[in-house]
Amino acid sequence: MSTVFNLAWRLFRHEARRGELTIILLAITLSVAAVLSLSLFSERLQSALTAQTAEFLAADRVLDSRQPVNDEWIDKAQSMALNTTHVVHTRSMIFANDNLLLGRMRAVTPGYPLKGEVKISDAPFTQGQVTTEQPQPGEVWAESRVLQSLGAKIGDTLEVGDAQFVLTNVITDVPDAGFNVFGGNPMVMISEQDLAKTNIAGPGSRVTYSYYFTGEEGDLDAYYEWLRPQLDSEIHDWDSVKDSASPLGRSVARAERYFLLASLLAIVLAAVSIAVAAQRYSQRHYDPVAIMKTLGAPGHMVRKIYLLQISFITCLGIILGTIAGLVIQQGVVTLIGDTVDISLGTWHWRPVMIATMTGIVCAVLFSLYPLMKLFSVPPLRVLRRDLGATMSSRLVQFLAAGSAIFMLMYAYSQNVMLSAILFVSGIALVIGLLGITYGLIVLGRKLGSGRIGAWQLAWARIRRRAMGNSVQLISFSITIMLLLVVLVMRNDMVKQWRDQLPEGTPNYFLINITQSQLPPLKQHFADMGVETDTFYPVVRGRFVAINGEGLRTEITKEEESVESDQRRGLGREANLTWSLNLQSENRIVEGKWLTEQQGTEEYGVSVENKVAERLGINMGDTLTFNVGSEQIDVKVTSLREVNWQTMQPNFFFVLHPDVMKNYRPTYITSFHLPASRKAEISQLLQPFSSVTLYDVDAQINQLRDIVDQVSLAVEFILVLVLAAGSLVLIAQVQASMDERQEEIAILRTLGAKGRLIRSSVLVEFLIIGVVAGFMAAIANELTLYLLQKQVFDMEGSFHFVYWLVAPMAGATMVGILGAAGCWRLLRLNTSHLLRQMV
Amino acid sequence: MTTSLTNIIECKSVTKIVSTSEGQLQILQPISFNVKTGESVAIIGASGSGKSTLLGLLAGLDEVSNGEIYLDSEALHEGDEEERARIRGEKVGFIFQSFMLVQSLTALENIMLPAEIAGLDNPKARAQALLEKVGLSHRATHYPNQLSGGEQQRVAIARAFITEPKILFADEPTGNLDAANSERIETLLFELNKHSDTTLVLVTHDNTLAGHCHRQLRMHAGELTEVQMVDGKLQQVG
Repeated sequence: MSTVFNLAWRLFRHEARRGELTIILLAITLSVAAVLSLSLFSERLQSALTAQTAEFLAADRVLDSRQPVNDEWIDKAQSMALNTTHVVHTRSMIFANDNLLLGRMRAVTPGYPLKGEVKISDAPFTQGQVTTEQPQPGEVWAESRVLQSLGAKIGDTLEVGDAQFVLTNVITDVPDAGFNVFGGNPMVMISEQDLAKTNIAGPGSRVTYSYYFTGEEGDLDAYYEWLRPQLDSEIHDWDSVKDSASPLGRSVARAERYFLLASLLAIVLAAVSIAVAAQRYSQRHYDPVAIMKTLGAPGHMVRKIYLLQISFITCLGIILGTIAGLVIQQGVVTLIGDTVDISLGTWHWRPVMIATMTGIVCAVLFSLYPLMKLFSVPPLRVLRRDLGATMSSRLVQFLAAGSAIFMLMYAYSQNVMLSAILFVSGIALVIGLLGITYGLIVLGRKLGSGRIGAWQLAWARIRRRAMGNSVQLISFSITIMLLLVVLVMRNDMVKQWRDQLPEGTPNYFLINITQSQLPPLKQHFADMGVETDTFYPVVRGRFVAINGEGLRTEITKEEESVESDQRRGLGREANLTWSLNLQSENRIVEGKWLTEQQGTEEYGVSVENKVAERLGINMGDTLTFNVGSEQIDVKVTSLREVNWQTMQPNFFFVLHPDVMKNYRPTYITSFHLPASRKAEISQLLQPFSSVTLYDVDAQINQLRDIVDQVSLAVEFILVLVLAAGSLVLIAQVQASMDERQEEIAILRTLGAKGRLIRSSVLVEFLIIGVVAGFMAAIANELTLYLLQKQVFDMEGSFHFVYWLVAPMAGATMVGILGAAGCWRLLRLNTSHLLRQMV
Repeated sequence: MTTSLTNIIECKSVTKIVSTSEGQLQILQPISFNVKTGESVAIIGASGSGKSTLLGLLAGLDEVSNGEIYLDSEALHEGDEEERARIRGEKVGFIFQSFMLVQSLTALENIMLPAEIAGLDNPKARAQALLEKVGLSHRATHYPNQLSGGEQQRVAIARAFITEPKILFADEPTGNLDAANSERIETLLFELNKHSDTTLVLVTHDNTLAGHCHRQLRMHAGELTEVQMVDGKLQQVG
């Protein structure tokens, strides 16, 4: 064994020194570095983002409960190293200065909020300052609207339930306020110690107990595993930012999937480059293997020597890759550290493990087939130089490489759908390319005929190598396709995020505008130069029956306990609106939108499709609402899909205007006011004291910040993957140069001019680049469509511009790389080239 | 010169048939001949006559289609590739027209290689001694591509002798060399051969080189005939 080890080590040392191993070493190093830096970065970024988004919940996880939970649950959480706190909230009447207001009351305990910040100020509608304090017993803090509605000021006495409090601060921000236009009721905050004396939370009252948890991700998951069997879905609701249907939750989830995708593609790229490099490595060792066999080395000795050598290369590659990965990662963090708060404090082992495993699996699986070929080289090659490996089965190679890639993708992503989509489009690409290369042989015969020039030489080479080099064409295409997928996916995703919050997104909502206030308010706003959105009429109605069958109260309860923020705000009463115009971001999925009423038909209503599904409402059902003392019957004429991610008022029920003409609605609208004009708010609203202003500026800014940061992070990932891909292309061209060397030497010996050789190689690479780019564009389209539909929960879209861009980019990239490689060979003199030939 | 009468190579009705796209092609007609221990035999013939094919078969690098070959009484035609590798390692040394040195090993390491494969003691000391004999001790750490053709072939000769093989096969050993180097290699080859009492089988188209051997066999269109050197010209025996 020691002889074998010595031989392997000696070969490794010399070859490494002579640069023989550079390509395969580079490939392994690259794969480890790319996977490591990507996963390390995305892991860190994810924790940073999760931490930031956790502020929206005021914790990492929240358990909402209709009744106080067992103390044991909290003890258990604390014993599992989780931080906890809780808040009791309910609705309550608030009195001051003989005015009455229905508000939301929060009774907080020390520790709230576990994530994010509460901001307070001493006057309504002003910028708040961060505080770590909480209302003391006997004190109440209130949102600006409370002061506005009640005409109260700091120092006044507010009555909440049966208790009296002194108003000491104005709340401007709480982290878990959520987006809730109809939340309507403004908030007051008291200490939990005062809760009992308000007598609000007695039996029969609708109180929610929110328990907040923070801690390590693993501990939180473990705790939920423990808790889950004990939860009752009627009473409890476990929430984390990720499963929230809020715009933010979706963006973060989508970004995470993107990081995963990018990392997967990096793995595939790495695998492709290792496969190419291993092939080249194997071919360059045919002679030494034949020599050793001739000199009497038994098969097992040759196998051991080369397996050991591959192990040395793999180890070195992993070490270099790890170092490079850490350096890249550190560089990226340094570059964007100012924008995204990424902590370097915590060390993540998982990425290092993944990267190391990737290096090993790639090196072993992808060098397996080339090595098997290498081992099959007959000793007779020493006499007959044309003898190569006796074993050859492209099918085995494709199968082995394919299943290895799929296994890697699945092992890494744990996502069958994502892996399958990438894999299937990869296979489709390979099959398509095999067809194309075959087509090229036929085409080339026609195109490449005539007197020998660069064009004819190029076609002759393509034709001669078409089948043999289909692997090269395929790897070019796959590389370009993967780069396209990452690029286009990023563009689409960032665009959708930005579209969600365009400049001028309404940051204030006005509600409770009465009919008589409407014209003067419109006029006043126009005078002040503030543009308002549509005024939606709203009447609150109780949804009481479907097809005459009364609804159980449980349904109403359930309606309140649904997960999305928008729905939670609906409350016991539904906000009914009416219009003949379909709101933007609404799409009819079944039936027809409301039109002018004809004859004596029942009036129509359009219902949001998810609420319809949840409450079992079907097309044609008659819905009954109680509005005041009156009863309204309407027939479901359409189901609508609503984009809840837009910052506009959205409605579950849109009724036919005629049925509502006798009701006096209030109006709701939204408007955008730039931060610089914030001071004008009181002036803007001063004539309309009964109109309620709802300020979502802080939330929108928070959301926009996160979207910006995620976009920036995604861009960096894109750059990393592009860099990895380009290196793979270089490795491929380099590998193919070996094969060209012989031909160039012969052509030169025969007196071919450098220009002819150069231009023929250039033309050849341009043709390969165009074909690879075009195939990549097609495969990219297929992959993206499936990915967007199945994995990213986005609308699928086509990108015809890339059908043009990809072949051009492919031709440029491959052409430049090929020409550069060829130039290098042509600089060497002919006798040197001939001597290097084996 | 040895007086032993033992046959170290026995070749009985050996044929080689290969499959081509146009059907089966018989490269070697049935060939029978023996080589005695310590003899030097030249196989001569034009390109494509089948002499290298015969060498490949005799050295156990290739499988016979029919017939029997015994090397030092071991049946080469019966074993598999592993068995043939063992026999090669134990009994055979090689010299090739294109030198066939491992490019990533130094001159010294190339010479050590067969000794290491065979598991001999002190491969380095043996290699150094041989390197000295071929006059290249100052080139020990040089890689093949840093050596001239003649130097490479001297390294190859040293490598061939390190395991003290009973039989040495040489395929056009001077085919890639100029006249001066050819002569030097020839001298070296026959000198070492004489000293180590090795049987030498060499394939060449160089009549002068062939003339230095005890026997000459001519290969023509897959058939082998015994010839002899008369006044610098080869003539059919009998």
